[in-house]
Amino acid sequence: MTTKEPKEKLEQIAQRQHEIKVSAREEELAYYPHKMKEFGLKTIGRFVQYHPSPSKLMKLGVTFAHKDLESVVDAMANKEPWAVVSGLNPSGPLHFGHKQVFDELLWMQQQGADVYIPITNDESYVVDKAKSLAESRRIAYEQVIPSIIAMGFNPKKTHIFVDSDYLDIYNVAMDVSKLLSLNRVFGVFGFGKNEEGENPGTMFYRSAVQIAQILLPQYPEFGGSKPVVVPVGIDQHPYVLLARDVAKRKGFLSPAAVFTKFSHGLDGKGKMTSSRPESAIFLTDDPKVAEKKLKTAYTGGSVVASYQREHGGVPEICPVYTLRTYNFEEDNRVAEQCSSGQMLCSGCKERGIEQVLDYLADHQRRLPEARMRIDEYILRTPIKSILE
Amino acid sequence: MRLEQLLSTKGLVQQTPKADEIRERARLVSPQPIKLFYGETYDEKGNTLDSMKYYFFVAELSDALREEGFTVDPAILIADTAACRNVKNELQNKYMMLGTNRAQFVEQVNEVYGTNLRVAQMSRYIDSQEFVREREEIMQICKADPKLMEGVEKTVPESKLDIEQRKGFLYSFDEITTIIDLDVKVGPPREDLYDNIARQVAEERGTKGVQSLFLTPTFPLGMNWAYFFANEGIEDHGITAYKAGSKQLHRHRAIIGRSNSDYIKQLLMDSFISTDRMLPNPVLDVGIISEMARRRLEQDSLPITLADDFYSGKIAPDQLKNIVGKSVERYVLSKF
Repeated sequence: MTTKEPKEKLEQIAQRQHEIKVSAREEELAYYPHKMKEFGLKTIGRFVQYHPSPSKLMKLGVTFAHKDLESVVDAMANKEPWAVVSGLNPSGPLHFGHKQVFDELLWMQQQGADVYIPITNDESYVVDKAKSLAESRRIAYEQVIPSIIAMGFNPKKTHIFVDSDYLDIYNVAMDVSKLLSLNRVFGVFGFGKNEEGENPGTMFYRSAVQIAQILLPQYPEFGGSKPVVVPVGIDQHPYVLLARDVAKRKGFLSPAAVFTKFSHGLDGKGKMTSSRPESAIFLTDDPKVAEKKLKTAYTGGSVVASYQREHGGVPEICPVYTLRTYNFEEDNRVAEQCSSGQMLCSGCKERGIEQVLDYLADHQRRLPEARMRIDEYILRTPIKSILE
Repeated sequence: MRLEQLLSTKGLVQQTPKADEIRERARLVSPQPIKLFYGETYDEKGNTLDSMKYYFFVAELSDALREEGFTVDPAILIADTAACRNVKNELQNKYMMLGTNRAQFVEQVNEVYGTNLRVAQMSRYIDSQEFVREREEIMQICKADPKLMEGVEKTVPESKLDIEQRKGFLYSFDEITTIIDLDVKVGPPREDLYDNIARQVAEERGTKGVQSLFLTPTFPLGMNWAYFFANEGIEDHGITAYKAGSKQLHRHRAIIGRSNSDYIKQLLMDSFISTDRMLPNPVLDVGIISEMARRRLEQDSLPITLADDFYSGKIAPDQLKNIVGKSVERYVLSKF
């Protein structure tokens, strides 16, 4: 073997690796436009052009599409009532993928929205994401809600509820379930024949409760019919469709939706999710744990530094890039530095670790006070209008 | 103002033939005058400031060509017959009267600003043998060519297609016949459909085609960003410049003799404004019209640089709103 061979071999490995990542990028770049076309969504670009101060995630194209945002903008611009609803499963503490969605909610609150945050511990339970209802309830109060409060939401315009504790939501679910048909549910979710293993009861339950959550702000107890927007991942589109359908039948305004791209999991295996703890940095993670996760994170770079300097990295598929840009940067310069080869993964991770640890320190410092203030945020309004 | 300067005025001219193409046409028709034209209908909500953009522009174009020694016929057509086509029988007389009022308004503009525009009314020629004969010939040419007929259909909004089909697309053919012999037709971008057919028919007949010159679209005043966001496509066509009630937005228009200056100033203050030159800028539009008015009153022949001054950051958005509020009051509203 000559001395040249190992270097050449490394180059070949780097090239092959790069090709795989570039091909993954092509897939990634094609995925969202394809979904937009499939679901008839509009790009968020026009909103960014016209809004006097669009959110950072909109400007970056992370919040990339919308459905019927036209129905909300009048209220937004004229300071009339409007609401935003975004729930989550309390199957674990909040992570940076959640934070990204809550940043968008915060921006909407600054634009005048009342923010409704259903914590769907019942769903965590029925789909086996939590060991028990009690466990998911405990996570909600001990970890999820304090983290949400610590992000700086205004208590007067924030309404958080844990499904299993806000029993009125089930009355609303009962009310909307009258307007759901099995065909419609199956049609929207893409089922139609016997789906082995699928639990129709669970699916119907989840649909009814989720629609109840989305339509809740339009019940008379909250001021009646009003524009509502739901920030969701593209996988939640079926729920949005169902909710729009039911809203029309109830004489409510059809809720609009904005669609946000997923944060990549640090393990390089899909989106950041609590169900793969190694894929996420949780807002309650010990700094050392967070640092380790970032140091060992999958990247869009190369094993060979010289190759990366020459060919650049592939930021579009890199979880470190998405983590940094979605959460801490004001523009897309990380991508430029990466794809031009100016910045290598080690430097990028180093800066990312600084940013994450700073944020975690600040966030975790706020948690004790946030835990004391939970009552200020919890929605307890009884829904009597459907009982009359 | 020199022809090149006029045609390159930012924020005013959207699409234009080259200056030399216009000169070439003027030489071609000489010793006959080059026919410059702008035509409009109207409604009962009044005479708009936005129409004045077209009057001033045709006058400026005419002046620029005259300065170069060409003979010019700058005409403003008040399409009274067309305006009456879609109104109820009992309103016909009222609408014909409104047409006369609009023609008088243009005469008034001539007096105040020295625009020297020839004012014509459609009702004066529409039933003439010569016009009817020419319209018939154009109809035959179009009917013999499915592609041309498809183009004629496209001039009609989908909602009115059935009615116009029953009427044999008379409205469209009147328009095409009116413009077929013109040299330069000034108008809003949406008139491209008529102009294209007129050019194709002219080609069939072996005559010269009309040159289209489009000014920037008109936008309502006092509307916020949400209005523009929700009205997709408004950037391309805006609202109808010459109809104050276009899209029932008459409360968002400067209507000459009706809107008081404080109201217009407030509308300007409430108007959407962006430093992105691709987006609608109703404030700048009023500013440019007022600037054209000032130049005529003060016989100033310097180019209009308001758009460049704004988009380069020399003038801030709120500053522009203030400047425009004052100038529209001083150079336009106070004159009527």
